This record gives sequence, C-alpha cells and structure tokens, in this order.
Amino acid sequence: MRGLVKGGVDDVRAVSRGWRWGRRSLVPRSAEPHSLPKESPVFPTAWSRRRPAKAVREVVQQAGLRPLFRSQVSPHVEGLDMLGRVKPPVLFVANHASHLDTPLILLSLPNEWRRITTVAAAADYFFDTWWRAVGSALVFNTFPIERRGGSLASTPGDVLNEGWNLVVYPEGTRSVDGWVGSFRMGAAWLAVEHQVPIVPVAHRGTFAAMPRGQGWPSPGRKPVTVRFGPPLRPTEGESAREFAPRVRDAVASLLDEDRSTWWEARRRAAADAVPDPSGPDVAAWRRVWAQTESPRPVSGMPRRRAWRRR
Amino acid sequence: MSRPGFVLEVDDRTPPLVVHEGEGFRLEEFPLGTQVVYPPESLPAMSDVDEAIQHALLHPEGSDPLPSLLRSGMRLTIAFDDISIPLPPMRKPDIRQRIIEAVLTMAADAGVDDVELISANALHRRLTNAELKDIVGERVFRSFHPQGLLYNHDAEDRGNLLHVGMTDQDEDVEINRRAAESDLLIYVNVNLVAMDGGHKSVPIGLASYKSLRHHHNSKTMVRSHSFMDMEKSHLHHSAWRMGRMLADHLKIFTIETTLNNDVFPKPYDFLLKREWEWGVKDQASMLAVRRGLALAPDKLRHKMFHDLRAPYGVTGVHAGETEAVHAKTLANVHRQQMVEVQGQSDVLVLGVPYLGPYNVNSVMNPILATCMGLGYYFNSYRGQPVVRRGGAVILYHPVKPDFNQLHHPSYVDFYEEVLAESTDPAVIEAKHEEAYATDPWYVHLYRTSHAYHGVHPFYMWYWAAHAMDHVEEVVWVGGDRRAVGRMGFRAASTLADALEMVSGTVGSSPSITYLRNPPHLIADVH
Repeated sequence: MRGLVKGGVDDVRAVSRGWRWGRRSLVPRSAEPHSLPKESPVFPTAWSRRRPAKAVREVVQQAGLRPLFRSQVSPHVEGLDMLGRVKPPVLFVANHASHLDTPLILLSLPNEWRRITTVAAAADYFFDTWWRAVGSALVFNTFPIERRGGSLASTPGDVLNEGWNLVVYPEGTRSVDGWVGSFRMGAAWLAVEHQVPIVPVAHRGTFAAMPRGQGWPSPGRKPVTVRFGPPLRPTEGESAREFAPRVRDAVASLLDEDRSTWWEARRRAAADAVPDPSGPDVAAWRRVWAQTESPRPVSGMPRRRAWRRR
Repeated sequence: MSRPGFVLEVDDRTPPLVVHEGEGFRLEEFPLGTQVVYPPESLPAMSDVDEAIQHALLHPEGSDPLPSLLRSGMRLTIAFDDISIPLPPMRKPDIRQRIIEAVLTMAADAGVDDVELISANALHRRLTNAELKDIVGERVFRSFHPQGLLYNHDAEDRGNLLHVGMTDQDEDVEINRRAAESDLLIYVNVNLVAMDGGHKSVPIGLASYKSLRHHHNSKTMVRSHSFMDMEKSHLHHSAWRMGRMLADHLKIFTIETTLNNDVFPKPYDFLLKREWEWGVKDQASMLAVRRGLALAPDKLRHKMFHDLRAPYGVTGVHAGETEAVHAKTLANVHRQQMVEVQGQSDVLVLGVPYLGPYNVNSVMNPILATCMGLGYYFNSYRGQPVVRRGGAVILYHPVKPDFNQLHHPSYVDFYEEVLAESTDPAVIEAKHEEAYATDPWYVHLYRTSHAYHGVHPFYMWYWAAHAMDHVEEVVWVGGDRRAVGRMGFRAASTLADALEMVSGTVGSSPSITYLRNPPHLIADVH
C-alpha cells in the first residue's frame, strides 16, 4: 500500500514537473514546426467593463497592484499634460518590451483616465486558460485580440465605441532584445476607422527590469520611465498604411526625448536624424547588452529618502 | 487535417514520454538529444465505408467487376485474415464482416449456391466460434457455421491440401484444397502493416508447413531487410513467386483494406497524442490509468487491456487483381505510417506493448515479446535499420515467463528445452525444427484444440533473426532476469542502467532513437 501511495506521489510529481503545472506549457523546440496553432477559446470580457468588476479592479489596482509595483520598480512618468489636449476615447500606442509595460502605463495614468482604459491582450497568450483570462481581465481590464485571426467576443472597435480608451502594442509581442520591432497596422487602422486620436507612449527600462522569460522584476527597484507624447490624428484621407509610420516615428521621437531632452529630440526630428528605435545592426548579444542598462534617473528628480539629510 | 510524422529531438522542454511495457506503460525521461520518431496522426476515415466497398467491387483494379465473375453453379470460396490482425481487434462491425456481407449479397443475387468461408490462419491457432463470429458478424456466422461451411483452415489435414506445384526456385506450393479447386477464390484482408497482404495472403494464409518452410526460416529472415519492405524482403520474394504461380492456377479476387492510426479508444486516447500537447484532461486520464493499473490485480489488468477495441477508421478499400490492388494498399499504409529519419543511431529504444499478432485473448510470453520487439518493431524500417550494425537495442517489457497452455503448448517446451541449448536461430532450426513441426501431440492440439502449431515458436524466433544478426547488444528494461537470460539477453531496471550496460559497445554518449509506437510506424531511414 505504501508503495502504491509513493508511486502515485511520484507520478504526480513527474507530471507536475514535466508539464509545468502552474506555468505556461512549452513545446520542445524541434516540435515547434509541427505544432498546431493554439485555438483560443472565446472568452467574453464584457463583464470586466461593468460596474462590479470596475469596483473590484479599483481596489485591486490601488490597494494591491500600485504598492506592489512601486515596491519592485522605480517609475518616472512624463508627458501627462498631453492628456489635457484630448478627450476619451483614445488609443495609447506604446513599444512593448516586458510584462511590466501594462502596469506601468495603467498606473501612470490619472485615475479618471485609468478607470476607463482597457488593454488589448493576445488571445492565445492571456486568454488560453480560464483562470489566466479572468485574472488579466479583472486586474488589467484586458480583452482578447487575435494575433493569428479567429473569433472574438468583443472587437477593439466595440470597446472604442463604448467610450473606453485602449492600450495597444503594435509590435504584437514583447521585444526579444529590448529594441523596438516593426509596427503592425492594427492601431493605425483603428484610429482611421473609428476617428480616434492616438497618444504615443514610449517607455524605457522595463526590459532591463524584467525581460522576456523572467517571472518577476529583478531586485533593486530598477528605474523605469514612461513618456506620453502629443496626440496624433489621421489627416483627411490619410490611410492606415500612411498613418502607421507616423505613429512609429512619434514613439521613436519620444524614446529619443527620454534619452536626451525635448529640444534636442525636436532638432534631430527636424533634421530627420532621430535614432532608429530598432537599434543598431550589431551582434545579438550587444543589442541585448545595451538594453539591459536601466535608464539613468532624470536629473533634478528628487530621490525619496526615508530620513532627511542634514 | 492530420499532421505527418516527425522526429523529435529531446530537449529541456520535453516532458517525460510514454513507453509501453506489456500491460502498462511508463513515463520515461530520455537523455537530451534522443531522437523520438512519432508516427503520422490518424488519417481521416472514409465517411461511407459501405459505398467504398461497393465501388471497389464494381470497379476493381485489373479485373472484371465482381458480379460478372459470379454465376450459378460455381464453387466460390471466401478466405479472410484471422484474428492476428488488426491489433487491437477493431470495434464492431469488423471491416471483414462488411466486405463479406457485400460479397455474399452479390453471390446470392447471382444464384451461387456452393459457398464456403475459410479463416486463413495458416499455422496459427484455430479461432473459437465466438472469435469467428466477431470477424464475420452474426448474419454470416448463422448462415454458414452450423452447416460447417465457415471454418478454420487446417494445415495438417492432408486430405484437404492440394500440392499445386513447384516454383522456379523449387519451392512447394501447397494450399487448402477447397480454395485451390474453387472457380473463384476471394480473399478479404486487413492490411494493418506493410508486410501484410499481396501474395502473402493466399500462399501463406492457406498454406501447409511444407510450403511455409521455404520462406519461414532463419536464412530468409536474416536476408530480409526488412520484411516491412517487400522490395527487399526475401520472405516476400518467395511469397510472390508462389502467388504468381497460384494466380496462373486459379482465379483470385483480392480485397484489401487499410486502417488509420486510431488504435486506442477513450479514455486511453491520450496515448495517441504527443505528450507536450496533453491537456489537463489527458494528464488526469494518464494519472488515473496509471494508478488503476497499479492497483488492479493481474487478471483485471489483463482484462482492461485485452478488452480494448480500437475505433479504427477505414482509409481504403481496393479490390481486383492481387498485385494491382496491393500497390494501392501499400500507398495507403505508407501514407499513414511512414516517417523520414535521417541516419542510423547507436541505440534503438522500443516499448513492447501488451499485444502482438499471436496473443490476442492470450498472454504475451517471452518468445512473443521478443518477436514483437526484435521482430516486428525492429523491422519497421525501410532503407536501412534505425540502429547501426553492431549497435544496441533496448526494449521495455516485463518478459514474465508466463505461458498460455491452451494456445502456446509448444512454446513452453521451446523455452525450456530448445532455448536452454542454443539461442542461435540457424542452430535451433537445423537441430530442432523438424521434430517440433511433426510432433504428433502438437499436431493433434493444433487440429483439435486452439493451439498454435508445434513449429510456431521457431518462426517467432526467426522473425527476430535479422535483429539478432544486426546488433551487438539487447537489453530489456524491467524484464524478468531469468527469462531474459534464458533467451540470451540481459535485463536492466532503468534506462540509465541499460545505457550503462551497453556503453562498452556503443560508448558512453551514444546516439539514441526511440520509436514511439504504437500506433504503427515505418521509419524511412536515409
């Protein structure tokens, strides 16, 4: 009998380890070309934008997420004044390098904006199991978008039409080396189709604090910065194909501004010399190496101290 | 849409993999870099099998339509594959039943009175009435069996055998007299693996020992590379010579069928899936089945497995002239089972499951386990063996020295007397085969009971002759040490131990290939 129990325990242990219980399952590398694309179940998320869920989210974000986030990283926010120039709904379009990006952007927003902002999240990643779907929809107000095509309960257009702001990462996935990838046209298309402005958002330091593959931020409260730029609107007759590069340029300019100053970035933009956000064409390790460096604390920014120095 | 087979390379993301071992299976963590050959996923089944049967009979390959071959006053014999295929037995209705019913309907319409049905069991055991009924169905059984018109082939009934002649290689062609003297012989086959069917059906299924010994011998088996590849199989060359001679002598209408890879029914269907794609339900099913098997007494465990009926889907039905039909059948089998493998490895790993062709409703004794592993699974290749010459084979099976006295009486003596003296197929063939083949007691049991023929264990040993000739080491993981030792092999408790044991031959970091079957696969080794 003892042997039977031990055999059972050993089996459960082997399965929990082999099939990574509690973590995302992995496909052996050589099997990846032979794997079927994951079919994401359709998760309705309308409930997460109703009053009870909003109330719960407010408590979770303010009492749980915000202090936790601040305990792990040291955020610095600039450009919120830009929000005074637009009215909801807007599209927040940002570069994407880490799972920290979403809480960084959401928690940087003024409360009245944050409460009406949703996040477009990959259906095949955040909505592949019910508990992950419920968790992310409740805490971050995410709703699923299909990266590979498929059926959805709500479309981004529906959400915008309901008056919600939308955070979109046009790269479609987190950067593998911290540099900015190519932008897909979904965000620009939404802006053109629904005639909503795009607020470009650029952040730095999230890759250094918690890159792809890491489940928790690195110790040491690494600095992260986020900068909101002036809203962009598609001009009369401008197509999504024409608008999308303008959005990427705006994000690139914001990143440049974050590294230097607004004036220097402006001058470089005027001279068409904005540094390419996709980074230099050098060895992969050098690209990663450059991005593992956290942004320097902005000069003049007062460091918070527990005890005032004499 | 079913995915083709492929070769997995075990890496740090690979979960433990299923390895069959008799009436159970284990989860094995293979060394990094191990190649695992996965069979293609199950092909879509035909949506209307009866329609496909009608089409095959009315539009045969290289033959006139079946109705035009049937006439009043003729002698019609229908022979069919016995219980040794498919494995596991398929869910009712058996495809043979559906075909035989369609053929008999046409025969009745044509006014054919003289019809007999023969189970082509060669030197296999006689099927019980229930087993015959399972294959042909209740309607056919009730119409023919009580009159003695549905029966097992008897390879020792001298009065009912006909020596048709000799091939150009001096091989006796002797088959069932009723079949040989019929105006039309219809053979209904289930082509489970590539070695089945074609001219292997009539000249072997309905033959006598006198005829079978020309190709069922150690020399032919060692030279068949492999017997799953008829182009390079001396066994098949011999059968083809006999079949062509028979085709000149009598009219044979062959009907061949192919099945997909749906081997395991629910809740065992997780065994068909690729492990990293197991969902929560599959993992829970696996854990439950493992615990159930661990708790179950031997008899219940045996019943759990042997009561399985495979939900096979039919992928092809072809009828007509034997060789034309078989070409189409083989294409279907290859489509379902062929996987490309690049290069040979030092070590081949095989999990031997609970069932082989000769232990349906019975026990897999050590000789049958060897036949299954070193015979059928080792030979599941085309081109060249999966393992290099001088390499090692590691098999998983308990190899308990348990024998079914009803079905395998000569196996007991073969194990106790012959293998105790020598395990060399050529030596035991020369010294003992004749005596076992002609022993009156074994002949009596074969003819009147449900025993395999006295010579049958020798044939099982010959199936493994090519593997024994090709590799240097054979180790059974989890095998009974005494039984394994009796057969001239070695036993290990774990894969790590087995690899350690063969390291003297293949080195301490050998290349390893694991064939992940069942379901069946053929490794096309380049």
